[in-house]
Amino acid sequence: MRTVNRTVSAVLALVATSPMLLWAQDDHAAEGGGGALFNINLGLSTWTLLVFGALIYVLGKYAWAPILSAVEAREKGIQDDLDQAKGQREEAAGLLAEHKKQMAEARREAHQIVQDGKDAGEKLRREIEEKARTEGSAMIERAREEIERERDAALDALRKESVDLALAAASKLIRENLDADKNRELVMGYVDDLTKSGGGAQA
Amino acid sequence: MTSLLALFQGQEGATHEAAQGAPPDLERMLMHHLTDGNEIEFEILGRGFTVHLPEWDPIHIGQLTLDLSPTKHTVFMLIAAALLVLVFGMVGRVMQRKYRDKAPSGFANAMEAMVLYFRDEIVRRNIGQGADGYTSYILTLFFFVLVMNLLGLVPFGSTATGNLSVTGALAIVSFVVVEVTGMVKLGAAGYAKTIFYVPPGLSPAMGAVMLMIMTPVEFLGKLTKPFTLAIRLFANMVAGHTLVLSLLGMIFMFTSLTFGKWAIAGASVVMVVAFTLLEIFVAFLQAYIFAMLTSVFIGMMRHAH
Repeated sequence: MRTVNRTVSAVLALVATSPMLLWAQDDHAAEGGGGALFNINLGLSTWTLLVFGALIYVLGKYAWAPILSAVEAREKGIQDDLDQAKGQREEAAGLLAEHKKQMAEARREAHQIVQDGKDAGEKLRREIEEKARTEGSAMIERAREEIERERDAALDALRKESVDLALAAASKLIRENLDADKNRELVMGYVDDLTKSGGGAQA
Repeated sequence: MTSLLALFQGQEGATHEAAQGAPPDLERMLMHHLTDGNEIEFEILGRGFTVHLPEWDPIHIGQLTLDLSPTKHTVFMLIAAALLVLVFGMVGRVMQRKYRDKAPSGFANAMEAMVLYFRDEIVRRNIGQGADGYTSYILTLFFFVLVMNLLGLVPFGSTATGNLSVTGALAIVSFVVVEVTGMVKLGAAGYAKTIFYVPPGLSPAMGAVMLMIMTPVEFLGKLTKPFTLAIRLFANMVAGHTLVLSLLGMIFMFTSLTFGKWAIAGASVVMVVAFTLLEIFVAFLQAYIFAMLTSVFIGMMRHAH
């Protein structure tokens, strides 16, 4: 296609310039030196077409195509890098989200564990407390029973002792059995003895 | 660099007149510098040499006589082409070898930026769908014209684009590319419409009148585009050189003044430096315009009516 264009252009150029050439040459002849500026040299035009055509081909093949292909390769490289970076960024965002999720999960689990521990501790504390309280009250109950029992025993003992004392005193009284004054003196002496012995015991 | 360059041009001009020893024939000097020739001069202050280019027998193709003898402009055009192949061949190799997966640096980076700018902002934007097939053509067109423009600013250089034969040929290539694009893209009927166009909604009689009026206009419109392309580039190049050479010529026109000549020489050199800088800008601008307008014309043809 290009070659055809170029051939056509060359032919057209020659056809188009030929009348101009005639005109320019006439002009030149009539005017002298000044017209030389507008001279058309068909040979030069042909050279121009040939050189220009060759340049289009040579530069197209060895300059513009390599330059533009290098630029496009670079553009593609940059685009690839950008795409890759975008992909990696998305991947990183996904990983971060997952990581965050895992963190939240872990935190929740830790919280759960602590809570469970607390609950278990609380329960244990309450159980121990309960047990201590029941044991304590049982012990107190036992102590109270013991005290009551001891008190009863002591009361019995005291009662028995006082009966014995009363009996002893009575028997002594009865054995003497003299007169009222003597009796009174006797009891008083007995009470004095008792007080003395009690005081002596106390002292 | 540019001031040196301007001075070189000045000295080059000076040797001419000094060698003559007669009152300066500025028109002859100017024409000598602007027009094509079969010799290339490398002379400063009367020293140096002149290369005489070979003359070949003309070739006859049917009625047409082609004189393919190399001329000054042919040689500078070939130099431009060789420079392009050398520079961009190397850039292409370096790009392939080193910069496929790494950011380019230095000259390759600069060239890549220009190439990409042209592909994206000129070719793709103006031509649209399927523009990449034209990239090679438009890029080559821009850089070829640019280097030919710039070679005229180099000492001893000559601007091949200051010759209608060159700009005309390039414009005709543009024309052919545009028209062939139209034929391929729009088909025979669609392409015919770009010449014989009747606006819809007209009565047959009015349509016929419109056809008679508009057909020559449309046809001329097609021819005007490449014509303006050729003339614009040619005229810009010639005008810039004419301006610079005329300013330098003023130095030799006023040599009879005792003190004034130094003032004029100084002013001329300053102006020449300024205009040479402008010329560098114009070289880029005109190459850009040529390539961009060609893209625009291709785009217009592809989206015609």
